[in-house]
Amino acid sequence: MREDALTAYLVEEQARFYRLAYSYLKDRDEALDAVQTAVCKALERQDTLKDPKAVRSWFYRMLVNVCLDMLRQKSRVIPFPESPETEGYEDPLPDDTLSRQVDALPEAMGTVIRLRFYEELSLNEISKITGENLSTVKSRLYAALKKLRISMEGALG
Amino acid sequence: MKEFDQARLEYERTPLPPELDKRVQAGIREGKALRRRRRMVRRLTSCAACFAVLLAALNLSPTLAKAAADVPVLGGLFRVMTFVNYEETEDGIHYDVNVPQVENGGDLAETVNAVIQEQVDLLMERAKQDWEDYRDAFFATGGTEEEWGGREMDVIVDYEIMRQTDTQVSFVVTLGEGWVSSMEERFYYNLDFAEGRDLTLRDLLGENWVELCNQSIQAQIDASVDDEGFTYFFPAKEGGFTTVDENTTFYIREDGVPVVTFARYAIAAGAAGFPEFPITA
Repeated sequence: MREDALTAYLVEEQARFYRLAYSYLKDRDEALDAVQTAVCKALERQDTLKDPKAVRSWFYRMLVNVCLDMLRQKSRVIPFPESPETEGYEDPLPDDTLSRQVDALPEAMGTVIRLRFYEELSLNEISKITGENLSTVKSRLYAALKKLRISMEGALG
Repeated sequence: MKEFDQARLEYERTPLPPELDKRVQAGIREGKALRRRRRMVRRLTSCAACFAVLLAALNLSPTLAKAAADVPVLGGLFRVMTFVNYEETEDGIHYDVNVPQVENGGDLAETVNAVIQEQVDLLMERAKQDWEDYRDAFFATGGTEEEWGGREMDVIVDYEIMRQTDTQVSFVVTLGEGWVSSMEERFYYNLDFAEGRDLTLRDLLGENWVELCNQSIQAQIDASVDDEGFTYFFPAKEGGFTTVDENTTFYIREDGVPVVTFARYAIAAGAAGFPEFPITA
């Protein structure tokens, strides 16, 4: 893939990248950092993209890994109490909505659900992104849906 | 699946921060620069190897040595050359190391070499510790061997000669470690071997060096504000640029113009990288 084609893809799809990062990190500044870091990595390592058609799974893999790494780093840091004026910057959702339940899933399950139902990627693409084989992705998806108490009908699409 | 329609809708309504595009552009710029650097490092490494061979040949052949004495690069008062050079992976850390050394036989060269060595040693120690901490935390928070995969950390030591004359040299040593986020430090050396001391901004700009620098830097910061009033630079009241002083770092550009430099985050958001200001009097 030529550098300008990659750049155009990254600029065009930036809103999707941010949303995905935000769904992991739940923090605007961290989500911005994650997107910038992943974009930087993509340009730096563009020579590792062999098949231009696979650019989406190639990039999402980097983005998801950056987000997961940031989450892990965060869990080592004791959070500073939020000041009152920054609270409620994003409208809080009621705790029982499906999107909250998705956020509460273990990382690996949450990733599969987000990519499958929010980003509408195929299970094949998801397996490339997570680096796991297809059957692992399927069983994660089933387990997640079971946790969310949703019937599996049509989940494989 | 219908069940997810509502959740997806909420997801798609995630508010987008106005600076998203700028951050993406900054990522693109940084990534391009890093890729260029990587390629350059590889080319420089092979260059340094040729140079080493040439030096070995000089030691062997009196005719060659005599011929080389006329080559200006080798004929000066001093020489900056790669002292240590290796690229290897050990315990998940990928080292790409080119340590420079100044050769001239005087005290100045010895002091500079000792300082560089100390900086490199510190980096190595800190990088190993960071990497260990990160790995421990990764597994302590439920990461599996499979997820860890072949993760590697990069440790980079490199240098670049910015300007060189018969008696003076300006070079920058870059020390970096990179994994989740990257950390990079730059150290600048401006040496005058005729005088046996560091060059200062006063030497280059005269007695008024502070005012000259401050005016020029402030003008360049003001010029960076875009149509929407946005700039990466912090306002002076909030930790932004106020004034240069004896500790301000700089290098000398090829055309002799001093370039004042700041560390990342020192006076601007991280996305601005390492701000640099050429001071043309």
